[in-house]
Amino acid sequence: MDRLLQEIALFAPAAVFNVYFAAASIPLGFVFAVALALGKASPNPLISRLSRGYIYAFRGSPLFIQFFMLYSLALSFNVAVWKPWGISWFVLHPLFIGPLVLTLNTGAYTAEIFYGALRAVPRGEVEAARAYGMSRAQQFRHVVWPNLIRLAWPAYTNEVVFLFHATAIVYFALPVIGNQRDLMITAKDLFERDYNAFLHFSVAALWFLAVSLVVFFLFGLVYRRLMRHMPAAPGMRFAPKWLR
Amino acid sequence: MSEDLAFWLSYITNGKHLTWYASFQFTIFAAVFGGTLAVIFGLLGATLKNSRFLPLRLIGTVYSSIVRGVPDVLFFLFFPLAFEQAVEWFIAGQVCTPEMLAAQSAAWPPCKEANWFLGTPEYLVLASVSLGLVYGAFATNVIHGALRSVPKGQLEAARAYGMSASQLLWRIHIRQMWVYALPGLSNVWMLIIKATSLLSLLQIADIVLWADRLGAPNFLPTVGLVHDDWRWRYYLVLFVFYILVTLLSERVFEAIMRRAGRGILSEVRH
Repeated sequence: MDRLLQEIALFAPAAVFNVYFAAASIPLGFVFAVALALGKASPNPLISRLSRGYIYAFRGSPLFIQFFMLYSLALSFNVAVWKPWGISWFVLHPLFIGPLVLTLNTGAYTAEIFYGALRAVPRGEVEAARAYGMSRAQQFRHVVWPNLIRLAWPAYTNEVVFLFHATAIVYFALPVIGNQRDLMITAKDLFERDYNAFLHFSVAALWFLAVSLVVFFLFGLVYRRLMRHMPAAPGMRFAPKWLR
Repeated sequence: MSEDLAFWLSYITNGKHLTWYASFQFTIFAAVFGGTLAVIFGLLGATLKNSRFLPLRLIGTVYSSIVRGVPDVLFFLFFPLAFEQAVEWFIAGQVCTPEMLAAQSAAWPPCKEANWFLGTPEYLVLASVSLGLVYGAFATNVIHGALRSVPKGQLEAARAYGMSASQLLWRIHIRQMWVYALPGLSNVWMLIIKATSLLSLLQIADIVLWADRLGAPNFLPTVGLVHDDWRWRYYLVLFVFYILVTLLSERVFEAIMRRAGRGILSEVRH
């Protein structure tokens, strides 16, 4: 039991890296996703096609490959661009490129969720807003967006949890610099030292579970606030959907 | 121009590239075998979850929620390692003598004779089983939901015809369940396809590992074409490959759903 507690404490600094990757990419991915979802629904065929293609490509390919591809792409520009500019230490750093790729990935997944919600926004409400003489921006701000975010929130919560789970593979694709080890790499290193798979991997799993539950709790609070006008808010289900 | 073409043609058909193409078999094997196992585990899990016996129902629920609650990579790495250790521990109990145990200096295995060497085929099977276990948990949920969406009237009619419980389950319930489960199972299949990119984490020389080797910069003319870092090109090929596989799977699933939906409630078909 003592050993287990020690082990849990040992993993705490590693969990910070996973939380960092998720926390850095979620807000950026959110903004990006809104833009992509609106782009996909845009009447302009060029913008619509581009957003559609982007979402399809990044949802249809493994995150692992996306990491390798974008990292090696960044590496190939190193001599020509990053080095002369003196920013290669920054651009090639996992703490930069990790959130970047995660943002691109979660942007696509979240955009699909938001697009679905956008299409589910009641038509009558939008028509009523137009009848009131609201401008396009006002319609979006006061009618479409509040509906969209309420419809999308449960699915978005699952997506956030799965993005957090996806941070587990960041350091399998990117180089580990110094002591910056996340949960998976810590578990793997400890395993290679004493071959105790059951202890180390279970503790890493526990950390992932614990943080996921915290995310569910916090997002549940937000959902309650979003739904505060409703008589009885439908409860959030612990039903994470799909991971990448 | 034609010389160029001939040169590139011979480049992409040299020995290393042919090995790369051959390594697609691992990915395909893992996807197909893992997918089959996922459906089997999913059916098993859903049956457990539907069971009238509480402990079994608990096992089913715990399986589907715990495995989905941790990252797939974690389980993917953990299961083969844990299985290997369990087998080695079992062998150690059979063959190790006290002298052997004393002679062993490393932390594992207990004695050298108990070591179980895993080659590519063993790892491939273990990787497929862990894919099956992980995505079986997802399939459990899908199938559990599908079993509940089968119209009650169908089951009542079957019972009225005097079918036994197992006849009802196999001839009516599971037969009709597929229509409701297919959209969800198609999503699980997409996840499995994407998860096959992780095979290289288990020391399988799969397409990802070969793409890395082929693209790595080469400065020795004796080894092959001298080029700088081309990895991103190879990864781009894999990126496109996975997108195409997704596209193809979507088409195939659409066709299957159309076929499975024949004669069943029209609202299921779009």
